[in-house]
Amino acid sequence: MTQPSGRQLHVVEGLMLLLLASAMVGPASAMDFSLSGFGTLGAARSTDESAQFVRDLSHPDGLTEQWSLNTDSVLGLQADLNIRPEWSATLQAVSHYRPDGGFEPEITWAFLGFDPNPSWSLRAGRLGIEFYMLADSRLVGYSYLTVRPPVDYYGTLPFSYVDGMDISATWPFAGGLLRGKLYGGLSREQSPWDQLQFDMSESLLLGGYLDYQKGPWQVRLGQTSVRFANDLPLEDFYAALPEATADELRVKDHWSHFSSLGIVYDAGPLQTQLMLSKTFNEHGTFEDTWSGYLVLGYRVQDWTPFVGVSAAKSAPADLQYAIPGYTDAYQSNFHTDQGTYFIGTRWDFRPGMALKAQVDVIRGDPSSTFLYRWENEEWDGSMTVFSLSWNFVF
Amino acid sequence: MGWIHDGLQSFLELRLLAPAMCTDGSFRPLIATLLLLVALQAYADGPVVVVMSAASGVDRLTREEVVNIFLGRFRQLPNGQSALPVDQPRDPGLFSDFYGQLVDKTPAEIRSYWSRLRFSGKTAPPEQAPSEQEMLQFLASNPGSLGYLRAGQQPAQVKVVFNLGD
Repeated sequence: MTQPSGRQLHVVEGLMLLLLASAMVGPASAMDFSLSGFGTLGAARSTDESAQFVRDLSHPDGLTEQWSLNTDSVLGLQADLNIRPEWSATLQAVSHYRPDGGFEPEITWAFLGFDPNPSWSLRAGRLGIEFYMLADSRLVGYSYLTVRPPVDYYGTLPFSYVDGMDISATWPFAGGLLRGKLYGGLSREQSPWDQLQFDMSESLLLGGYLDYQKGPWQVRLGQTSVRFANDLPLEDFYAALPEATADELRVKDHWSHFSSLGIVYDAGPLQTQLMLSKTFNEHGTFEDTWSGYLVLGYRVQDWTPFVGVSAAKSAPADLQYAIPGYTDAYQSNFHTDQGTYFIGTRWDFRPGMALKAQVDVIRGDPSSTFLYRWENEEWDGSMTVFSLSWNFVF
Repeated sequence: MGWIHDGLQSFLELRLLAPAMCTDGSFRPLIATLLLLVALQAYADGPVVVVMSAASGVDRLTREEVVNIFLGRFRQLPNGQSALPVDQPRDPGLFSDFYGQLVDKTPAEIRSYWSRLRFSGKTAPPEQAPSEQEMLQFLASNPGSLGYLRAGQQPAQVKVVFNLGD
């Protein structure tokens, strides 16, 4: 296993470079170096052995009736170097449950930032992707209310970062702030597929959003497209099909598009988020999906109880060269039709630490299998998930 | 004077809640008194004002501008200059009152907010001044910088650009 040690080496090298750079410039200039971190120790279990609940599709397996620490536990370390007023460098390494079932740390952010004035910001390197609002901070449990981002909405995203660049600009407009951002890059990640891996590396991601914030309101329209560089690891299946049929199912060199709308109302003790998304695929494998969620939280001293609902529903593509009994069985692997009611609370019991408890009641159709691992014939589409987590930043 | 109103309101809310919080009547007066002390403590030192160096060339900011600058949404002063906010986290009472009066958020919520931005490589949090003296020194040497103080305590070299009690 040379992979993990190579990865760790990069982390160490990166940190040393940042330290060296900070030592060379010296303390006299307007420059500061900081180390910080975040983490979650999360335990969760479900009430069902007939399908395993996962946080997102990067996890090779998920929850059973036994309590598990894999789903939500995360540890992240970040080094920041700020050279005021324009330049910055950031390196972040995170250990969490990986597609291969291990916890080897990986570099999730490594970029140089340039902010020539208060309006414009450019970043290049390894960057988190704001696929949806809040999607680039999904691992930082301390930063949000729920135990994990709603799975019906964020769970289908195995992507968290790209090697590429982004540019954003902010302008005052009509008493509020208008913000636009464009980003692009290549994925380096994997998504487990049964015992195999769906290799997403070299897949191209392009996208952007327009955001308007005024007083307690924030509204964002986003659009991201992915062109897959590789097929799912199912070459034997594709090869057995007539070529025209296989071509309709292959994802390689085809696009998937993700459109989203986010509305946030955040005023004092009240926090509200409504997110909606629609995906559209230029291939017959991943299904076009509607998803959304609503979460309401209200702070009472150190406690912030919350309730929410989320749902996702997909439809298979109409194939021109369908082969009944084969292509429909294949497409059913990618189907989602379910809703979740959740209730819980966050308790900010001391500075930089929060405990959370949450119950998710999932009600779905037995055909809803895309967001689960290892489902069997007894799967009826419904389960309950219990979660506890301790979240911290330092 | 908004802060007096807010203080009274908190007091009234707590006073109304207090009887419901205890089933044993004999503890009620004690709990009510404690809650009253807590409520008064939060406002005992009065409103917070946002200050800049007297030489900054900025006379007045709006609440929205102060929010945008301190929460890192848009750090530009009305004269086009970059704004550099300064926090005083080592004075927990002042820190808590500043964000409470500015956006009705607790220190934990402000920390949670910054953890999202920091760990997604966005805007950095305000500069951290270890003391009021160091905040004032920072303001004196950085014309675009802003800090905060208790109302009525500002020394001559700074001017109030926004009063959170207004």
